[in-house]
Amino acid sequence: MTIRVEDLSGGYNGAEVLSGVSFALEPGTIAAVLGPNGGGKTTLFRALLGDLPVRRGTVELGARPAYVPQTDRTRLDFPVSALDVVLMGAYARTPAWRRVAKADRDAGLTALERLGLADRAKQHFGALSGGQRQRVLIARALLQESPVILLDEPLSGVDAVSAARIEDVFAQLRDEGRVLLVATHDVEQARRWDQVLCLHGRQVAFGPPGATLTTAVLLETYGHELVILPGGERAVAVEHHHH
Amino acid sequence: MPLDAPFIQRALVEVLLLAGLAGVLGSWIVLRRFAFFTHGVGTAAFPGLVVAVPAGVAPQLTGLAAALVYAGGVEWLARTRRVATDAATGLALVAALALGVILASDVFESPASVDRLLFGSLVGLGPRDLWLTGSALAAALILHARLHRAWLARGFDPATARALGVKPGADPLLLLAIVLAAVVALDAVGALLVTAVLVIPAATIRLVAPSVTTLQLGTTALAAAEGVLGLWLAYQLNIGPGPAIAVLGGTVFAVVAVARRLA
Repeated sequence: MTIRVEDLSGGYNGAEVLSGVSFALEPGTIAAVLGPNGGGKTTLFRALLGDLPVRRGTVELGARPAYVPQTDRTRLDFPVSALDVVLMGAYARTPAWRRVAKADRDAGLTALERLGLADRAKQHFGALSGGQRQRVLIARALLQESPVILLDEPLSGVDAVSAARIEDVFAQLRDEGRVLLVATHDVEQARRWDQVLCLHGRQVAFGPPGATLTTAVLLETYGHELVILPGGERAVAVEHHHH
Repeated sequence: MPLDAPFIQRALVEVLLLAGLAGVLGSWIVLRRFAFFTHGVGTAAFPGLVVAVPAGVAPQLTGLAAALVYAGGVEWLARTRRVATDAATGLALVAALALGVILASDVFESPASVDRLLFGSLVGLGPRDLWLTGSALAAALILHARLHRAWLARGFDPATARALGVKPGADPLLLLAIVLAAVVALDAVGALLVTAVLVIPAATIRLVAPSVTTLQLGTTALAAAEGVLGLWLAYQLNIGPGPAIAVLGGTVFAVVAVARRLA
């Protein structure tokens, strides 16, 4: 078992945002985390990262998870190259007085190559396209060499080339025995993965897609944000952006 | 400019030490968007400098105390979340300046002394001033060597910094280093022109630097050139060195910004 969560509740000073979350994931699993904006996806990730002010319940993790934020959370004006960003993945094991190790630099370049960005290593991070930046952030997570990777909507708004490459890498990581928790709005994507966790302030459902992705569960997860397409076979979660 | 005169030699050494601080810390100040905070810290030290004169203590000591009270106050106001950080900075800045002026009107007979505290006096430095600036530079270099990756990661995307193994304590130490740098720069450029040394050169190089290292080296070189040239201009034109360095820095920034726009 790589990750086990039991009756997890949490939130920010005074307000509970998420409650009653229990699930366990075996090595080699891709789990979709579905839910509306404000449904608790980011809160769950923060709890797993140990970064939530208020938390109850138990979280068992073999190691510190790697985290891939949404790219619009990064500072595009920083004078850092794609490789500079990837090498942040090695900071935790780099002694304060030393340079990042040669082995880690090589591993960083390999990670970029895996995501199809070998020729962009020296390019300014802010000058890359949104999809390329997302791939750089995933390469950074790979360099952390954690058995668990949390990804916050890694496929939202990325170009088709980037999306295909990212999904390829997801499949490889599953084969390597890693656990991926992927927050997403795309119900069809979730259908292709191994497990689905539906959140709406609390846990609505958890299990394989066939059993969880029913119209009833989706309605409970998304409420008014859900559109059921004709025939009832396809459901699309409508994304509302709140800025 | 008489290079063999001790007061000029001390001024040159001070300018070069401050250039080192501009390179190491100024780069982080502009990258991490602490420019207004830095200006606030410098100004906040003003009432501290005023009371140092009648109390007969080192102005750096009372200046540091005032700057620390200020930084703590801004941090506390921002943490209550009722006031935005920039509003808190501005509020405390005005309060400190006003308090300094009120205190000064009881202390000084001639407005020239107040001028000196507000705009600096590079040519009136003693050896102690140089030692203090040198110590602040050494502290900044040590903190930078130890924490620069944390400062970079927390600035680049704070949401991931913890997952990358970066400790949250790195940022308060950066702010402390900025407070020390601002306080030792007071004797040279005064309470109102601290940003002329700690912000403007870095903001200028920032327009063209492709990496943090080039930003730091380029800023050190530019701050040193502006400092020496500003000192020379001040001597030739018989004006204050602090304002001369500030005007020069602003002009160079404008030229680089326009040139970059046209390129």
